[in-house]
Parts: sequence; structure tokens; C-alpha cells
Amino acid sequence: MPEWLDIAVRSALFVAVLFFITKWLGKKQISELSFFEYVTGMSIGSIGAEVATGLERNIFHGIIGIVIFAAIPFFTGLISLKSKGFRNFIEGKATVFIKDGKIMEDNLKKERYTTDELLELLRRKDVFQVSDVEFAVLEATGDLSVMLKKENQPLTAKDINLKVASIKEPQTIIMDGTIMDEPLATIGRSRAWLQTELEKLGVTIENVFLGQVNSYGELTIDLFDDKLQVAPPQERPLILSTLKKCQADLELFALGTESKDAKQMYRLNSEKLQEAIDKVTPILKG
Amino acid sequence: MTVGSDVKQCFASLKGVEASLSSLALRTLDDESKRTLHEAMMVVHEVTKDLKKRVGELEGEELQYKGF
Repeated sequence: MPEWLDIAVRSALFVAVLFFITKWLGKKQISELSFFEYVTGMSIGSIGAEVATGLERNIFHGIIGIVIFAAIPFFTGLISLKSKGFRNFIEGKATVFIKDGKIMEDNLKKERYTTDELLELLRRKDVFQVSDVEFAVLEATGDLSVMLKKENQPLTAKDINLKVASIKEPQTIIMDGTIMDEPLATIGRSRAWLQTELEKLGVTIENVFLGQVNSYGELTIDLFDDKLQVAPPQERPLILSTLKKCQADLELFALGTESKDAKQMYRLNSEKLQEAIDKVTPILKG
Repeated sequence: MTVGSDVKQCFASLKGVEASLSSLALRTLDDESKRTLHEAMMVVHEVTKDLKKRVGELEGEELQYKGF
């Protein structure tokens, strides 16, 4: 066998081996959460590269090396699921860098991080002023996790007592002009329903690049032809405006009538309607 | 245009809203939003019931609305 062919065969073989080994180790290996996974990831790659091009090396020795390097983190992973002490030893512990808004200089020294490096890590989290930080911790992966002081945290709906409608995740039901049957079934819709919705929008399925259905069962689409304009769903805002109009009408009737009973009835109903409007506004606003 | 026809129009609009709310409630996946929409639909239904009665009364007598 000529040398180049040998290298080609070895490379193909090791791509396959590495593929299955990383699949076996799973997502944890790829995210490199602990320094242990970082080390094995590097070693497995190096062994693969070394044996693929080093013709004097035995292929099976390489494979044995890779399997062992993969097996050890796999089994330590199993053990660390059970034992917290073992987990701390293998995966390392996080180090607190900022506590109560004050930098822990001793911990910084222990991890051999300079002030510049701390500032760099903070900047990566979009923090430029150390005094904005309440708590920051260096994870075992080397990432810095930052908790800002409450007044510097982004404003949430809860902070301003704003009522928002709870929603479910949208489903993607059309990709590249083909219907995805599984997500369609998840939201309890049929192909016939989709066909009708597309007809309402005046487009054919072939022209749809991406189609999603939101929590309210509304279809939003993106077309291959970007010159065409697609109308956004209007149903919910329309309901809200009709409700508001009717409520105003009732108030008008209450003012207009001279019959006491009717006045009372109109007023009561307009109040009831107003209450209902206040409740559904977060949902219908869109 | 009499007041009677105005009330009738309002009644019809509310009926439409009731149906729209009901169908939206059925289509909504989130349970809490579903319930809120359903409750709103019930309120609208009560209002339409009262309005319907009023429409019946108005068909008999438009006198109270003199001046309009």
C-alpha cells in the first residue's frame, strides 16, 4: 500500500473512531465543564492526529489509547453523580472573586489572576464598573459568573408590576417549503389547517422558507421571495379594539337613556366589560 | 339612525367578539392564557344577554330616547 493511501485510510478510520467516542461521552465532553474533560478532549484529539499521520505507529495502539482516555472521564462522571466529595476533587470548586461588592484579593492571588484579567473577564460580561457587581465567582471552567447589584440588573416585568401573558414555545412547522408533521401534531393541527392558513395569506407552500406557529395558534411565515410582503396576524388586536369600542358604546348608551333601569344596566355592563378588557389586554396586545 | 339600531350594532359586535375570544381560547396552548380568555368570553356573554333583552325592549318603545 502506498504511504498516501495508508494515511487516507488511517485518517478516515480515526475520524469515525473520534466521532463515536465523542458521541458516547456526550454533550458534557463538548462543553468541557471541568478541567478533566478539557484534558481528555485534548489528549484524544492528539492521539488521533498522531496515529493518523505517523505511519510507524500501530493503529490499534492508538485506538486503545483513545478508548482508555474516553473511558476514564466516563466512569469518573458516573461516580461523581453519586458523591459530592469526589465531584469536588475531580471537577474542582468555584472560587469567589467578588463578594458583597468587594474584591477578594486573596482568592484572586490563589487562582493567580491579575487585576487586568479580572477586569477583562468582567468586561466580557458587559460589566465595566466593578462597583456595579454584587457577587462574582470563577467557575471550574474558567468562566466568570457575575451577579449585578439589584439596581443594575435589567428591568423585568415583575419589577414594575407589569402583567404579561404567559406563553408556550413556538413550533416550527415549515422548513424549506416542506411541512414538518411532528411539530404540527404537537400543537394539534392538521395539514388541512395549514393549507387553509396559507391560502388566507395568499402564498403557496413551495414559496415558504420558514413557518412558525406561536402560543396563540397564529402562523407567521418567511418567504423565499423577499419582495412579497406578508401581513402580520391581526386577529388579537382586532378583538381588543372591538371590545374597547363596545365598552365605550355602552357608556354612551348609559348617558343617553332616561330610563333608570336601563341606565343602571348599561353602567353595570360597561364596568364588567372594562374589567374583562383589563384582564385580557396583556394577551391581546400582541 | 335610531338608538335601537346603535344598540343592535353593539350587540352584534359583542357577539362577534365572544366568538373570536372563544376560538382564540381553544387555539391558545398556554393554560393560563386559555383560562383568562375563556373568562373574558363568559363576561362578554353575560353582557350580550343583557343587551339582547334591551334590544327587545327598544323594539317596542323608542320613546325614552327622545331628542336623539
